[in-house]
Amino acid sequence: MTDTRLLDAGTPPERFARGWYCLGLAREFTDGKPHKVDAFGEKLVVWSDTQGNLNVLDAYCRHMGGDLSQGTVKGDEIACPFHDWRWGGDGRCKQIPYARRVPLRARTQRYPALVHNGMLMIWHDVEGSEPDMEVLPPELPGIGTDEYTDWTWEVLDVPTAHCREIVDNVVDMAHFFYIHLAFPTNFRNVFEGHVATQFMESVGRPDVAGGYGDQDMMLKSEASYYGPSFMINWLEVDYKGFVTEVVLINCHVPTSQNSFKLQYGVCVKKPEGIDDATAEYIGKKYSDMFKGGFEQDVHIWLNKAPVQNPLLCEEDGPVYQLRRWYEQFYVDKADVVAEMTDRFEFEVDTTKANEYWRKEVEENLARKAAEDALAGAGSEHA
Amino acid sequence: MASFVPTDPETIEDQRRYTQARLVEVACQDCLAVVSVKKNSDHHTSIQWSERALGACAEFARMDHETSGRAVHTPCQRLSASIEKAVRDGQIPIGAEDGY
Ligand code: FES
Ligand SMILES: [Fe+2]
Repeated sequence: MTDTRLLDAGTPPERFARGWYCLGLAREFTDGKPHKVDAFGEKLVVWSDTQGNLNVLDAYCRHMGGDLSQGTVKGDEIACPFHDWRWGGDGRCKQIPYARRVPLRARTQRYPALVHNGMLMIWHDVEGSEPDMEVLPPELPGIGTDEYTDWTWEVLDVPTAHCREIVDNVVDMAHFFYIHLAFPTNFRNVFEGHVATQFMESVGRPDVAGGYGDQDMMLKSEASYYGPSFMINWLEVDYKGFVTEVVLINCHVPTSQNSFKLQYGVCVKKPEGIDDATAEYIGKKYSDMFKGGFEQDVHIWLNKAPVQNPLLCEEDGPVYQLRRWYEQFYVDKADVVAEMTDRFEFEVDTTKANEYWRKEVEENLARKAAEDALAGAGSEHA
Repeated sequence: MASFVPTDPETIEDQRRYTQARLVEVACQDCLAVVSVKKNSDHHTSIQWSERALGACAEFARMDHETSGRAVHTPCQRLSASIEKAVRDGQIPIGAEDGY
């Protein structure tokens, strides 16, 4: 059967993408205790020193392999629970309380770290390059001030999928109807340099609940990956004419070649004339809405096959071009070629899709109305 | 070294089909940019820029100097108009070939 289409699972890369990664909100690491973070197939330790700086090291002590994330913060250093070697944020062992001197080679793996937009960001590059400040995601003006609500923050484990699955969503127009239960009425992509963007307008489906709003909710969304893992999604949510500005962060850290941790947070520009508690409540509502969305995505990823050769129809987005862009983070910096970073624009034709979907939704509504009428008639006689 | 390595040679052919097939060169009427365009239908457009074309686009240069707004430039209106004209002139075939 030579004309049977075969799935090419391909071979996933051994390395983890070069770039900035967000490990979570900075405030979660500032309690003076060491924190364990799984990332890049390793275990990391995060702690805050006396200056309030956050430090990130490989968690395994270079002495005898003790787990620093179970150690203690002593002054500026993290002390190993096994023999109390003290490690500084620069990756050097500063002190061994029972020894005459510290071996010169006592240096461990450190991850350059900084706090940005209230988040702990670390730089990862298998080539060991200095952190590239040029590709740090932009600062979000107004966020962290009284203008916006505080970040909500959620974590979802994806134990059996490569993190490229979530990046693929950038171009996946049709899944917004089936997975996020909205009509994507307008859908465009722009890839350029290290940034990949999706512009989308959508309106909720009236026939099902639990997606991105109902028929009264219109989303105008601009979502950009700055590098391989950190997305900023600016949303203008119009609910019956009441417009809210929402910022959604969607980021992830690969934990192995076939697993990742997804994190997301929402903050909302406080609408005028609305008190803080109500604004926080609105933020929480949107966070819950996206939570449902991400959980639906995760369910798909955990059950699907990896596909190196997706078969596309005319209504699909530019998966191959997106992956060509994504490739730049998996090769040595010197091997990044123009086709990975050259600007590319794509507008999906959503006209036919929406026509078919409208019809499908009409039919669903009609069937539901008929069933309700039947149930209503039954109960009158009861 | 490629990162995600296909195991089937046909995948390489798919990559070529989806990223390179049926591209038509369109020159901007207002600047020296030349881009590669594909249209699978009236409302679909795919535009491949090169570094050279990007450097030639006057609109993008202007947007670079705007302090407000996002880092990502929305499509150049002048180029869009040039593509529409090329379509009207019959230079760009409209329609897909088996999904690409
Ligand atoms: S293993 Fe860490 S101090 Fe000995
Ligand atoms: Fe999704």
